[in-house]
Amino acid sequence: MAVGRVVMVVILAVLVGCSGTVQAFLFTDPTGLYSTQIGDRWVYQAHQSTSELMVFYGAGDFELLYFERLGPVGYATALEFAQRSIELYGGPGGLEQFELVRDFAAVEVAGVQGISCAYAYQDGYGNRLWEYRIFLVLPTGEGFSIAFSDHSPEVAEGPPPLEDILRHWRWLL
Amino acid sequence: MKMRRSGSGIWLVLILLVVLGAGAPSSAAGLADRFERSLGAAAAPALIKEYGGEYVLPIQQRLWVEEVFARLAAESERDDLDYSLTVLNSREANAFSLPGGFVFITKGLLDLIGSDEAQLAAVLGHEIGHVEKKHGVNAVLRQMGLTVLAEVSVVALDFLSADLLRMAGLTLVQLLQAGFGREAEFEADVLGQELAVRAGFDPTGAIRLLDALAQLSDEPMHIFRTHPDPGQRRARLEERLALFWSAPAPVTDDKALERLTRCRNSHQDGRTDPKGRYVLEMPGQVAAGVKLFDQQTGESVLWAENALVAQAAWSPPGDYLALLVEERGGSEVWIVDRWGHVVSKLQDPRGAVTSFSWSPHGDLLALLVQGPQGARLVVAYLQAQALAEVGRGWEVQDALWLDDALYFLHAGTWYKTEPPQVIPVRITEPVPVVLQRRRVLTPTLIREGNTFRLTRPELTPP
Repeated sequence: MAVGRVVMVVILAVLVGCSGTVQAFLFTDPTGLYSTQIGDRWVYQAHQSTSELMVFYGAGDFELLYFERLGPVGYATALEFAQRSIELYGGPGGLEQFELVRDFAAVEVAGVQGISCAYAYQDGYGNRLWEYRIFLVLPTGEGFSIAFSDHSPEVAEGPPPLEDILRHWRWLL
Repeated sequence: MKMRRSGSGIWLVLILLVVLGAGAPSSAAGLADRFERSLGAAAAPALIKEYGGEYVLPIQQRLWVEEVFARLAAESERDDLDYSLTVLNSREANAFSLPGGFVFITKGLLDLIGSDEAQLAAVLGHEIGHVEKKHGVNAVLRQMGLTVLAEVSVVALDFLSADLLRMAGLTLVQLLQAGFGREAEFEADVLGQELAVRAGFDPTGAIRLLDALAQLSDEPMHIFRTHPDPGQRRARLEERLALFWSAPAPVTDDKALERLTRCRNSHQDGRTDPKGRYVLEMPGQVAAGVKLFDQQTGESVLWAENALVAQAAWSPPGDYLALLVEERGGSEVWIVDRWGHVVSKLQDPRGAVTSFSWSPHGDLLALLVQGPQGARLVVAYLQAQALAEVGRGWEVQDALWLDDALYFLHAGTWYKTEPPQVIPVRITEPVPVVLQRRRVLTPTLIREGNTFRLTRPELTPP
């Protein structure tokens, strides 16, 4: 019995010790489309996530990361997808004080060509937010989007946390 | 105000009557279309102004509304029209249409509809129905003393200045608010329901919307003031539900017949809780209430203890339990939720329900109803609380669902019938959502001497 307790204490100590050194965790999309490695400062938000939308809050007050599956889309290219989205974000009924701060650029996410851009807007509380977004049309014809937003204009330059996430990105098709 | 309006109407009649008569009948059809479009376009600004101006919906909602509208417009019979939809910035729950394909819906009605695409299709289908049947333009012509649209000649149109058209438009807006008349509204209901089904929407959308509107307080119910009695509209729409089912066809395929026999003899239908918690104890005879063993608590529970239960079955998704309850002078079906609460009771005026069968999605129940003319097959739409007699006039011995089709036994032969196909809305060119972090509730711990007090969480900025 005493040996059992000792073993338990050792296991707990190892676990506690390890938890301080863990830097990232492997996140696998529950629908089986993709996986990536996400830093442990990012917390999955179950209340805002659905099977198509995965949401994470960062350590900063405004840091937000989310991936969205849009199902089959009628866009032939990621550029069309990006153009239409930006047109609607900046149009009537779109985002308040919308401004495209970084123009469309080609990007590759684990072998899939996409389009990235960054824009700024004002949220419902009057905060100015910057969002970096990647638009993808997967070989299956499905639309996909990766977005990172924060209360800082530096987001437009390609946020470092996202670079790490994209480096570990794998499609599970 | 009233004097000025009627005065302008008479003016219009007089001027039109003067300029009519020298027309070219050969171009009457094209002319009529032109007149319709001009009239609708002339009336639109006044209608938009009266209802608080145009409201721009948020992107995702706009795409969804536009997709529903596009599917309906694609099924309309008049290819000479370009349908357009405008959302009006009014809390009143209402919708309108103007000749030429101009359709309007208020923000208030969209709020009421929420994300129910069948209800939205019902409203928009109804308004497209008015346009298809030319209710608006005919009402204006009637008001002006004319009976046939073609009577408006080229000359008349040429003479119609923008001001006159605007006056005609105002007349139309007044007519619109008074309604196009009882029969026109019924006709638009029917056409709207047909359009909705052709476009792949649930035909009970209009019924559910009428029920939702009936539950509103009196203030925003303008749509009722200008329309016939909602009870009558509901009854007519319910009566037509059976028409959308496919014509019963005899089953000749051996494999299908074998499956039917196997399912019919299995006696397992609905006894097992699909969510795995309860074990249904069926004594095989009529009993007081329905007894279930709760595997979570390890105890037996008795639901609907005051009812004489002859049959019980879980819906395939496991959300509801249906009970066949014997009542004095008949029988009815009770729908019970997973907490044992009776959420609805289904009764058929045609007779007593003798058995039932769940559809695979748990949204429909096939009922065998014993009436004076023998047993009939009735399908109950649970969400809409509506009944439809499928295979009208046929005497039915048995019925069961296989896949998404309903099979019934008539005169020793199995027949198959299918409900209309419902296709969920899929936006062809969607755009990603733009999220923001939600505010966080943070409780505050305050020290007061030797004690601590936890204050009510306050909203803090993200």
